[in-house]
Amino acid sequence: MKSLFRIIRRYSLTVGMIILVILAVNGCVLLGMGYYIAEEEGTQFPSAWMSMRTMEEIGKELQETDGTFLLSKEGMETLEKSVFSWAMALNPGGNVVWEWQLPSTFSRQYSLQEVAVFSRWYLNGYPVKIWTNDDTVLVFGCDPDKVIRYNVIVTSSLFQNLPLFIKAVILINLLVAAVLILGFGYRFHQTMKPIVQGIESLAAQKPVALKEKGLAGELAGKLNETSEFLLTQSQALARRDSARTEWIAGVSHDIRTPLSLIVGHSDRLSRDASLSLENRGLAASIRRQSLLIRQLIADLNLASKLAYQAQPLKKKECLPAALLRSCVSDIYNEEIDRGSGAGYEFDILVREEMEQIQVRADEGLLLRALRNLLGNSVRHNPEGCHVTVSLTAQEEFIWFSVRDTGHGIPRIVVQNLENPDSEVHIMGLRLVDQIAKAHGGRLDFEERAEGSYDARFCISFPS
Amino acid sequence: MEQIGKAGQIKQAEQCGRKILVVDDHREILKMVETILKESGYTQIFLAACAAQAMKCFLSEKPDLIILDIMLPDEDGFSLFQRIREKADVPILFLSAKDEDEDRLFGLGLGADDYITKPFLPEELALRIGVILKRAYSIPEEQREKERHFFLGEREILPERAVVKYRDQENTLTAKELMLLEKLYQNRGRIVTFDTLCNAVWGDSYYGYENTLMVHIRHLREKIEEDPSHPRWILTARGLGYRLVKE
Repeated sequence: MKSLFRIIRRYSLTVGMIILVILAVNGCVLLGMGYYIAEEEGTQFPSAWMSMRTMEEIGKELQETDGTFLLSKEGMETLEKSVFSWAMALNPGGNVVWEWQLPSTFSRQYSLQEVAVFSRWYLNGYPVKIWTNDDTVLVFGCDPDKVIRYNVIVTSSLFQNLPLFIKAVILINLLVAAVLILGFGYRFHQTMKPIVQGIESLAAQKPVALKEKGLAGELAGKLNETSEFLLTQSQALARRDSARTEWIAGVSHDIRTPLSLIVGHSDRLSRDASLSLENRGLAASIRRQSLLIRQLIADLNLASKLAYQAQPLKKKECLPAALLRSCVSDIYNEEIDRGSGAGYEFDILVREEMEQIQVRADEGLLLRALRNLLGNSVRHNPEGCHVTVSLTAQEEFIWFSVRDTGHGIPRIVVQNLENPDSEVHIMGLRLVDQIAKAHGGRLDFEERAEGSYDARFCISFPS
Repeated sequence: MEQIGKAGQIKQAEQCGRKILVVDDHREILKMVETILKESGYTQIFLAACAAQAMKCFLSEKPDLIILDIMLPDEDGFSLFQRIREKADVPILFLSAKDEDEDRLFGLGLGADDYITKPFLPEELALRIGVILKRAYSIPEEQREKERHFFLGEREILPERAVVKYRDQENTLTAKELMLLEKLYQNRGRIVTFDTLCNAVWGDSYYGYENTLMVHIRHLREKIEEDPSHPRWILTARGLGYRLVKE
């Protein structure tokens, strides 16, 4: 659900940003247009103060000589360059005393009333501008196709309060935007909530059944379909896994009876005095190899169960240091029982502070993992070797390390540990890896100078 | 020593006369177990290939020990076990191809005397049968007490009195020394870890007693060794524990 809140927050921020960007763009466009009008089209569409300057210049250039008004040459040039279509000068009596391009249909005499009307408006359809020059009133007509004239009258209170109004408008706009953002955000949140819950359930491998209504109905439908699909798939996988585990368990069970006969008979033959020493040796070898097969099928069975989580861990508090000693002394004791003088020497390195550490673990499985590592050192170095076993704590893990002065683990084994198709015999190490993983740890290798490896594994030890 | 040897032989002969019923649906396994038992000296062996035969034989022959497979054609070995135990408290050893911990624990939980998984070493089967028979039948309590006597060289250990006898001198062992010596004796010849020894003496929360253990072992050596600084009987297994040497 946290991610949903993040999405809503980002959505609100985005909408706010969009509003700000639109406002900024609008402002820029308005400014740009104003500049364009002022700079590029200023001559054709004069602003109020520019036309006023033109009118003032013309007023100055209009001279009266003996009751006759004449525009100087410069005045005429200015007038011709201007946007005005026509011009005239009225004396105080309302008579036209000077004109320029004044249409002939226009009256040459205007009453006070007429002047009052057109001075702020239009004369015969032409927008009009007025300039008073001494006694005369200059009237300029603009092209009605290019210029529109209108009067604005505002109350003084409105004008004074304009900044306040602008602020209020902006504030109201922002409020409306905020309410809309929150409103839509909430609706979006409500719509998305079941979808998000559905996705979370999917991630947690729980079945999903959402209502397929509303805005997100189609999405909900797809989620339901996905959930159903995943459920069917995981059931099929579980069925396959359990079939495989059961099959391996079955085979390992069925193989035990014939193997018993092989072990029993070969044992008997190995002690049969009527056989030659060589043949007895062969029989003993058959017995030894059969016992190895017994170990292999037991490993295979356990490995398949661990791989498909069919082996429940019997976790309880145990002391790793004691486990280590127990495993090493078992190996010594087996050597003693066999009566063979052990060429192996085990050194156990456990620091004082590691002695008292307790972990929750499946003791049997840990012993098995340790046994496999120590057994490798023993089995692959028949000429004997020195084995150092140590127990250390690193961060949240407890490491069991086994180093020997023998051949070590060949590179090919380390490289093929993860390769299920490999023909290298590494069931024992795979089992160590699986047991470590089942305890939140892993199997690891340390390379020696000569290129072979020593193995160690860890289990998690939450502090 | 010779006397003890003789008594042992008599006992051995007694054990060998015990009736053993073997139940397994696999003919060859039956035959093989029979051979193993015969080679170990047992003479009265009865074979049954199914639960019905087994029950019949049990009722008619009243065997002293039963070796029982779990997967039988007509009945589950566990339920046959219960039916037999309802009638008589005869020692039963499961011999099964089922190697699951659960099956083993279930079998032992029912009250079986042992559980061996196939494939097994013939010698192991014979040894375990011997142990069960000895435990079940050779038992008057004082006799067993006497049996606990043992010698370390010239020194005789009398556990029931916590005494070490040497040339008419008696040296008393403390309770903890006796516990340690008995634990070592039970595993004679094999290494017993510090943890097992401490656990035997101080129980589960034994951590921190290793130094005390060393002190007790030193005292024990003073009482049983000729030369405690060069022990002959209680040897130290470096980093692991101690070992009581077998003669």
